[in-house]
Amino acid sequence: MTHVVIGVFNILLVLIAAPLVDGILRKVRARIHSRQGPPVFQTYYDIAKLMVKEDQGGTNGFLFNAAPVVCLASILMAGLFVPMGGVVPLGFAGDMLVLIYILTIAPVCMCLGGMASGSPYAYVGVNREIMLLMVVEPVVAVTFIVTAVKAHSLMLANCIERYVSSPPDISMIIGAIAFFLVLQPEVGKVPFDIAEAEQEIMEGPLIEYSGRKLALLKWSLYSKQIVLVALLVGTFFPWPRTGSLALDIALTLVKILIGTVLVEVVAQVFARLKINQAIRYFAIVIAVAVTGLVLAVMGL
Amino acid sequence: MNAQNLIAGIREKYPEALLASTQPNPFRLFLTVDRENIQDVADYIFNTAKARLILSAATDKSPINNTYEVTYVFSLDRDNLIVALKEVVPPSDPRVPSLTNIIPGADWHEREMRDLMGIVPEGHPDPRRLVVSDDWPEDVFPLRKDVPYNFRPPRVTVVKPPMRDPKEHEKQATILNIGPFFPTLEEPAYFRLYVEGEQIVGSDYRGFFAHRGIEKLTETVLEYNQVPFIAERICGICGFVHSATYCMAVEQAADIEIPPRAKYIRSIMLELERVHSHLLWLGLAAHYLGFDTVLMQAWRIREPVMWLTEQITGNRKTYGMNLVGGVRRDIDAETADKILKTLAKIEEETKELVSAAVEDNSLKMRLEKVGMLSKEDARKICVVGPTARASGVAIDARQDRPYLAYPDLDFKIAVQEGCDIWARTLVRAEETFTAIALIRQMIAKMPAGELMAEVGPIPPWREGIAAVEAPRGECCHYVITGPDNRPYRWRVRASTYPQLQSIPKMLDNMSIADFPIIVGSIDPCFSCTERVITVDTQSKKVRTYTHQELLAMSQRNSGQGRRS
Repeated sequence: MTHVVIGVFNILLVLIAAPLVDGILRKVRARIHSRQGPPVFQTYYDIAKLMVKEDQGGTNGFLFNAAPVVCLASILMAGLFVPMGGVVPLGFAGDMLVLIYILTIAPVCMCLGGMASGSPYAYVGVNREIMLLMVVEPVVAVTFIVTAVKAHSLMLANCIERYVSSPPDISMIIGAIAFFLVLQPEVGKVPFDIAEAEQEIMEGPLIEYSGRKLALLKWSLYSKQIVLVALLVGTFFPWPRTGSLALDIALTLVKILIGTVLVEVVAQVFARLKINQAIRYFAIVIAVAVTGLVLAVMGL
Repeated sequence: MNAQNLIAGIREKYPEALLASTQPNPFRLFLTVDRENIQDVADYIFNTAKARLILSAATDKSPINNTYEVTYVFSLDRDNLIVALKEVVPPSDPRVPSLTNIIPGADWHEREMRDLMGIVPEGHPDPRRLVVSDDWPEDVFPLRKDVPYNFRPPRVTVVKPPMRDPKEHEKQATILNIGPFFPTLEEPAYFRLYVEGEQIVGSDYRGFFAHRGIEKLTETVLEYNQVPFIAERICGICGFVHSATYCMAVEQAADIEIPPRAKYIRSIMLELERVHSHLLWLGLAAHYLGFDTVLMQAWRIREPVMWLTEQITGNRKTYGMNLVGGVRRDIDAETADKILKTLAKIEEETKELVSAAVEDNSLKMRLEKVGMLSKEDARKICVVGPTARASGVAIDARQDRPYLAYPDLDFKIAVQEGCDIWARTLVRAEETFTAIALIRQMIAKMPAGELMAEVGPIPPWREGIAAVEAPRGECCHYVITGPDNRPYRWRVRASTYPQLQSIPKMLDNMSIADFPIIVGSIDPCFSCTERVITVDTQSKKVRTYTHQELLAMSQRNSGQGRRS
């Protein structure tokens, strides 16, 4: 029963609260810029506006039309695997591997939709997105394997249970750092918003999207941010466990907010890198993550 | 090389070439040569005397003596000498030998000459249309005196932008169209990039979408003292530069000495414009790289300059301060005090911002070794301003040809050898501080007195060439005075004109990601009107409109018959 409730809660959080979090981040960004910033609920208004705006059509191919829906659906599904207050709503043996796959669906959808649009800007964006995926996804996978190795289990809930009752491990800390470093490209923020790069290729894969489809794609980016940060804090920062589920959930929410704000702050103090610079950078991050894995295998 | 040596040198090497030479003052030299000899003489001036081409103008003098006159203006920066090289062209045979193969920087000047005056530069390597719009008739040359200023060409339905054919190595490349409207270029400009993956292997440019015919208007409708107000509207950022340069050119032609206080006020305004322009650029450059924090902070720091100019002139921009003979408004002691206070704050905040930006590794990674322009190319293309100074070409009109208040001031120009965008950033940062220091000096030294000189009737057929160091580089105006209280010919060469010609060099082998910042690095200033977009017809999968369809759509939407 708890799992069902948490499942519904997660879906609502990922879907309904994501624009609010984005609104808060816009305020944070504005403060860093010495601006006042839009109202906290602005992102809801933006999505609502896009929902009723005319859809310019684009190519109207199947891929082009389906991509935004599948993209958001995959994120919602990932939301079911996200630990909330220590509880994983849809936990089963091996759920970790499933999650890794589900998390790649969203960027792949973005790529397919972009390719289907046929715009040369989208091609450039998709190229970049795929190159980034190749270096970013291994990091996500390796950090999960670190947790799995430590807990001797491929079930997320077991891993969290193991970690919450023990002091921080060096390999898990390295894993956490590596995971944090891939958040920027995963949620499309500077310095790694290379695939969208508004000033260079005008949002790349999104360029031909408009109206409702664009709203869905934007919405899935906001949601993805929550999912990934929730995964980070749920898996790598599970403490403290108070015993009361409600309190644990509240704590998790606070941690998610802190995490997203951190990501936003990082985005405001860097210039966007070029794709080759980013790949060189993530090669190092992969090496760091693998070091964590080696340490984990050695039992550290 | 001074004027005497230059004339002697030319006489020695090409004894027959010089037809006439006059030197109205120690800083100006006018040489007349035959069409047949102009290449030799230009080659001597550019390559032996190491002069720099700053401007060229073609003038229709057929109502007076039935000739066209082509003038190339060179600057010998070390000797504070401007040399105007003239050739006379009969209207019956309007052809001149092209200088572009000798001076690459003459490229656009000669294409413009062909478009506006119908003088054909023979042997020009790239004689495509440059200035006039795609639907302008082939045989109407707007700057000829027999074309009325309000001439409207008949409506044309099929036109093609004059883009070049792809070169051999570009044939396999993908075409990426940037513009005519592109979010990061605030103004209309069309770059066609040939890309292989992320790499740019070739580029082509079509601009002048916003050519407004200001020069023609001046020669036909306006009077001397109305021109400064339209000159100011050439640019939304450095408008004061244009009105000041125009006034200086006319004053020089008419031998008007403006009062010292007016000189100081003009110089203060010029430097204030530099402060806000460079801060604006820093913000934009950071924005091109997705670094919006720097954008917002730079513009916040810049804002008080706009308040200052509003207090001084009544306007944030487009000040309406200049007239031939002086300035219209004074800077009183109270305002001067406020300027000093504001600048102190701006200086402090800019220091913080610049030191934060300079220490930022991600910025450095994006700017170093990007958009390279070698010293050699910088000289050949005759680029000016921070773009030239960042490539080690130490030119600055304020130092080389001190005008207005600058002879009294003490300053050093910023020069960097890096040849990349990083160097351009450092140059501009340093110049911002120099500008602030200059304003302080000027306020301390400001002489009392009148704001306007007595200006009598301006004698016709005099020539004035003025160059002012704008934030983007040297801005040149050339004026021939006319008989009916208006310039007979007025040619404006804004600082972006030479810089844009260097863009293909800077883009070579860079990546698409570098494109916005490379174009941004010259601080481009196209101009500000609109035009119908053309859609990519190259890539097969794009939904493609034919030109006719687009035209029909635009006509349907804008209402028929507006132009006819």
